[in-house]
Amino acid sequence: MPAAAEPSAPLVRARGVSKVHHVGSSDVRALDAVNLNVARGEFLSVVGVSGSGKSTLLHVLGGLDAPTAGRIDVDGRALGEMTPHERSIYRRTIVGFVFQQFHLVPSLDAAGNVELALLFQGRPRAERRKLALESLERVGLAKRAMHRPGELSGGEQQRVAIARALVHRPPLLLADEPTGNLDRATAAVVMEVIGAARSDLGSTVVMVTHDEATAARVSTRVVRLVDGRFSSDGSAA
Amino acid sequence: MSRFADLARHAMASLLRSKLRTALVSLGVAIASGALVSMVAFALGVQKQAEEPFQKLGLLSQIRVMPRENAPPLDDSAIARFEAIPGVMKAWPDYRISEVILRRGEKEWGVRAVGIPREVGLSGILDAVLIAGGAFTVDGETAEIVVAKRTAKELGFDPPESAVGQPVSLEASGLEIDASGGATVGSRALEARVVGLYEMPVPAMFMGFDIALVPVDIARDLPGAAADPRTLARKVRSRSDVGASFEVIVRTENPSQVPRVEAALQELGYDTRSTLTNMQELRRFFVFLDVLLAAVGTVALVVAGLGILNTQLMSVLERFPEIGVYKALGASDGDVRTLFLAEAAAVGLVGGVAGLLLARGVSEILELAAGAYARREGIEGDIAVFAFPAWLLVGAVLFSIAVSVASGLYPAGRAARVDPVRALRSGG
Repeated sequence: MPAAAEPSAPLVRARGVSKVHHVGSSDVRALDAVNLNVARGEFLSVVGVSGSGKSTLLHVLGGLDAPTAGRIDVDGRALGEMTPHERSIYRRTIVGFVFQQFHLVPSLDAAGNVELALLFQGRPRAERRKLALESLERVGLAKRAMHRPGELSGGEQQRVAIARALVHRPPLLLADEPTGNLDRATAAVVMEVIGAARSDLGSTVVMVTHDEATAARVSTRVVRLVDGRFSSDGSAA
Repeated sequence: MSRFADLARHAMASLLRSKLRTALVSLGVAIASGALVSMVAFALGVQKQAEEPFQKLGLLSQIRVMPRENAPPLDDSAIARFEAIPGVMKAWPDYRISEVILRRGEKEWGVRAVGIPREVGLSGILDAVLIAGGAFTVDGETAEIVVAKRTAKELGFDPPESAVGQPVSLEASGLEIDASGGATVGSRALEARVVGLYEMPVPAMFMGFDIALVPVDIARDLPGAAADPRTLARKVRSRSDVGASFEVIVRTENPSQVPRVEAALQELGYDTRSTLTNMQELRRFFVFLDVLLAAVGTVALVVAGLGILNTQLMSVLERFPEIGVYKALGASDGDVRTLFLAEAAAVGLVGGVAGLLLARGVSEILELAAGAYARREGIEGDIAVFAFPAWLLVGAVLFSIAVSVASGLYPAGRAARVDPVRALRSGG
C-alpha cells in the first residue's frame, strides 16, 4: 500500500461513490454518486431513515464491500486499488468497526473478544492480552474481562465491542447504529465512551444512526442521507 | 508461525464450543482410524508370526540343495565342495525322520527328528529358541537330543525344564538301505540324553507335530534316513520316497550371501531352494494383504471424513455472522480458511490418537481371547496376533489428519468466500 497522506488532507475522501445491490431481477441503488470528505479527528454522524444507504456507506468505507462506481481514499490509500488481502490488512490496521448487534463471539470472554482484533494482526499472545485489558479499562469494563457476553448487559456488550474496535488504535472508527439496541440511559453511556475514546486516541469517527438528537449532541458534523444521496454537503468543514 | 499457532489455538477454542458435536465427530474418526490400524496391525502381526521363526532360527541363511537329473551325487565330496564356496558356513545332509517315538517310563510321544550338525550350537542359532539347557556337545558322539517344551511335558517332565540332562528312549522306524541297495523296513531304539529344551515363537497351532533335533551323525544311522547321501541322491532320481529327504542343507554366513551362493550351487549342477526366496513370495502376499486391509480401513476413514465435511458445513452456516465479524476485524480469506482447516485437523488428530488407543485396546482383548482359546487347545505361550510398529502409529495419525483436512477443504473454502456484509446482516 502507498504511504499515508499529508496530515492536513482529509482522512476519508469519497468521490462519486455508487453502490447498486442486485436483488432478484431488480437493482437497488443504495448509494448514488456520493461525495464525502471526513477530516482527521472529526466525529461525523450520518443520519437517515432505514434503507437510506447509511450502512452501505460504512461498509464501503470500511472495505467490507466494494462500490459499484467511484473512488474512496482513506489515509491516502485508494481502496479500489487494493487486493483482497490488502483490504483485510486495511481493515485490521486502519479501521475499527462497531455494530448495532455487538457481534461478540459468545464462547469467548470479554478480553478474548477484544483480543480477536489483534489475533489477525499476528501480535504475540501476551501483548494481545495486555492491550485487550487496557482497552477494556478504557471503556470501564476491566473488572468484567473474564465474563462472557451472556453474562453482560446489552450496554456492557456494546462497550466490549467498542473496546474491540479501538484496541489497535485505528485512525478510523466506523460505528453502525451503536445505540440502536440500547435503552436511552445505556445509549448515553455508550456514546460517552465513544466520545472519550475519540478524544483519548485521536480517532476519526463516522457513525450512522437514525437517532438525530444523539447525533446532534455528540458529533462535530451531521450529514443526512436520503435515498443514497446526501441532502447536505458531505465535504469536510 | 506464531500467527498460525494463534489461529490454531482459536480454532481449538471454537471446537470446544460444541463439545458433544466435536466428541461425536472425533469418535467417528477414532472408530475408522482404529479399524484401519487394527486391520493393518493384524496383517503385520500375522506376517511377523510367520517370519519370526525363520529369522530366529537363521533359516533365512539356509539353502536346500537338490540334485538335478545327471547331477553329481550329493555325497561327502559334494558337501566339501559346497563348504568351499565363499560365504558358506556349513553344509550337511538333510535327514528328517518322520516316525520317531520318544519314551520315558510309560509315557511316549511321537515326534519328527531332524538332523543338524553338532557345531550348530556354536553359531548361536538355537539360542533364540532354547529355554533350558544348550545345544549338542561339539566333539561328542553320544546320542543327544533337543526337544520341544511340549514334548517334555508330554513325557511327564514337570516342570518341562527338568528334562534337561535326563535320558529318554528314542525309537525310529522307516526304510533302510541294505548292502545290496535294497530297501527294508527297519526299527531301531537308542538311549538319548536331553541336552536342551526349546520353544518356538510361532504358536504350535501352525504345526501339528513336535520336532526333535538330533546330531546329524546320529540321525544318519536311524531307519528312515538312508545312510549314504549317494544312495539318497539315487533314490531322489528314481522318485522313490523312503520317508526321508534326500537333500543337503547349506547355511551361509548371513542372508545377504544367499543369492550368490545359490547361483554358485546351481552352477555346480544342483537345484536350490531357499527360505529367503520363498519368503519373498510370502512377503508379496502380505503386502497385498496389507494394502487390501488398509483399503478397507481407508473406506471407513473416508466415511468419517464425510461426517467431518457435513459437520463443518453446518458449522459454517451456524457461524455465518461470526465469520463476518472475523472479516470485519481484518481476517483474510486465508485466515478464515486456516481456522476451519485447523478445526478439521484437530478432529483428525484427536480421532487418530483415540483410534490408536481403541485399536490397542481391541487387540489386547482379542489376543487375550485368542490366548485363552489356544491354552484350552493345549497351545503354550503368548499369542501376539497384532503388531504395532512405530511407522503404523505415526502414519495412522497423520493419515487421519490428512483425511480430516481433505474433508475440511470444501467447508473451509466456503467459509473463506463468505461475503462479510451479508454475514453481518444475517446476525441481527
